[in-house]
Amino acid sequence: MRRFLVLLKKELRELLTPQMLVPFLVAVLMFAFLGSILSQEEEKTRSTQSIGVVDLDETDTSKSIERALDNAGFAAVDLGGTAPESMTEELRARNLSIGLYIPEGFEAQVDAGRPADLQTYAVVRSFSLMSLGQTEMLKSVLSAVSSSISSQLIAEGMPGTDPDAVKHPVEFTEHVAVGTMEAPVPLDAVYGLIEQQTLFIPIILFIVIVFASQMIATTIASEKENKTLETLLASPITRRSLVMAKMVAAGLVALLSAAAYLIGLGYYFKGLTGGTDTLFETSSGTVDVASALGLGLETVDWMMLGTTLFLSILIALAMAVIIGGFAESVKSVQALITPLIILTLIPYFLSMLIDIESTAPALRAFVMAIPFTHAFTAAPNLFLGNQMRVVLGAAYQVLWLLALVVIAARIFSTDRILTMKLGFRRRRHRTANP
Amino acid sequence: MPQAVLEVRGLTKAYGQIEALKGIDFEVAEGEVFALIGPNGAGKTTALRVVATILRASAGSVSVEGIDALKEPDRVREIISYLPEEAGTYKSMTGETYLKFVANLFYADPEKRSAALERGRVIAGLDERLGDKSGSYSKGMARKLLLARTIMTEPRLAILDEPTSGLDVLNALEVRDIVKRYAKGGAAVLLSSHNMLEIEYVSDRVALIHEGRIVDTGSPAELKLKHGADTLEDVFAAVAS
Repeated sequence: MRRFLVLLKKELRELLTPQMLVPFLVAVLMFAFLGSILSQEEEKTRSTQSIGVVDLDETDTSKSIERALDNAGFAAVDLGGTAPESMTEELRARNLSIGLYIPEGFEAQVDAGRPADLQTYAVVRSFSLMSLGQTEMLKSVLSAVSSSISSQLIAEGMPGTDPDAVKHPVEFTEHVAVGTMEAPVPLDAVYGLIEQQTLFIPIILFIVIVFASQMIATTIASEKENKTLETLLASPITRRSLVMAKMVAAGLVALLSAAAYLIGLGYYFKGLTGGTDTLFETSSGTVDVASALGLGLETVDWMMLGTTLFLSILIALAMAVIIGGFAESVKSVQALITPLIILTLIPYFLSMLIDIESTAPALRAFVMAIPFTHAFTAAPNLFLGNQMRVVLGAAYQVLWLLALVVIAARIFSTDRILTMKLGFRRRRHRTANP
Repeated sequence: MPQAVLEVRGLTKAYGQIEALKGIDFEVAEGEVFALIGPNGAGKTTALRVVATILRASAGSVSVEGIDALKEPDRVREIISYLPEEAGTYKSMTGETYLKFVANLFYADPEKRSAALERGRVIAGLDERLGDKSGSYSKGMARKLLLARTIMTEPRLAILDEPTSGLDVLNALEVRDIVKRYAKGGAAVLLSSHNMLEIEYVSDRVALIHEGRIVDTGSPAELKLKHGADTLEDVFAAVAS
């Protein structure tokens, strides 16, 4: 145990170098920085939006449009008598994105029961994701205008009638069942909640698996390349301790990186989505979707999730130890690690895009045979109350891990650690001296 | 007659169809420096690696201080030390940290650790440069650090593959003296080198190895006399041709 700890300390010292830590910290800080920028942009989008308005009609109907815009959270900026051909120029000059042009005779057309002409102008300044908010803004403007005029027409034509009751004669109450629980909440709210809760788990798992695998395979390849492995193999350390020290060190660094990425990506997604809100307004009042449908994770669920995620990292590390044994040099690690990345990418994408359980038996068997699949499907399974599937998946992962550790320890116990090579170069002429 | 520290009997090692060692026998006694010499691909490094327990023998036996190296490699690793040819250091570690790592690996007792570390510092002779990262060392400095790492633990058997490889004349002389002094202290040294002058200077006995077989063994003087050669280089040339 003492020698294992000495070796572990050495491995950690080798891994936690400034060359490794700096890019990793930069990535985490970058995520946090991006999250902060996105959050500010989101805040800007949420704040009162200005809209340029040209009202040449100046009637009660056109004034009611401005009131409707005000009620919808828009601040109308009077553009005077700007001509239609000068609208975009005027909007640009005033740094406005949306403009509304109400021509003369607008009210007369409405009163005559003819479709009234009204023009909107949108100035596109970028095609970024956040700029897409402009589309929503324009939709809100059109909806506010249309709702205002239709309410006015209903009030005039059907005195004493509630315009909202005419416009929305049917009231829908959506009921959603998840597992054994049911609640009167919108379906999209449930999907939104699950997406927010589980969005970054697969991303972080993927990043950490790739990062940790490269790290450990590189350290082994580096020991071979620098010829430090031979002295280590002749030292009084058991092969099992040697493999375990490398794996535990890489596992600890991977967990550290996972925690840092969790914080960084947490900021990022909070900025992107505005944070997790589980409360939704329904016809029967405010409902907490998470508790109403049992979509919150209990402590035991988090432990199961953590276990399956950690097992995935350990499996990747054990695979990387074997891959590192094949590597002829540090340069060849990148190519050798590719199959492992592909093995991670398959369940990563499939679990995001489709329900693996409902795929064809052959495909399902193939995907479920990949040990990482069980980590990618763990969070949705736990939300759906399928704890047994997660437990079985974790048990399957343990079998994989044991088999891989045995193989890795055997490789280190035999000549293969020094003699096996896969360098993706033309094979050299074999000589007696390896 | 000094007691044998290392005994190798009928040692065979095959890589698939290629037989690198074809049943070699030799022994190294206490206080003796024993050298394996031979052309490239003769099987010298393979022999050293098997004795160092990092390669498995296909047949034969290797025992160090009476311990079967093939059956109990972990016990043997406690009393041997191996310096591979072109061995490297951990570049991000300082020389001092590297020696501490080795001392910690071998000794649980703090006093023994400190003593080993002090020996390592003296053998390395790098003074204040020991505090620098070993990645900044010249080849000679790195080799001396590795030699210090190899014998600071006072192994009963030191296995040295080309110990002066890449060193300048002064550094090579220093290393040879260290090796000779170390053997005089009662340990056994098994080494391999292409430098015949070095072999002549440092070795008590020499085994000529060719195509996986030991073709002759004796002191440098005996071998020269037997082969009617003026130098060990001539003996080597006669055997290799």
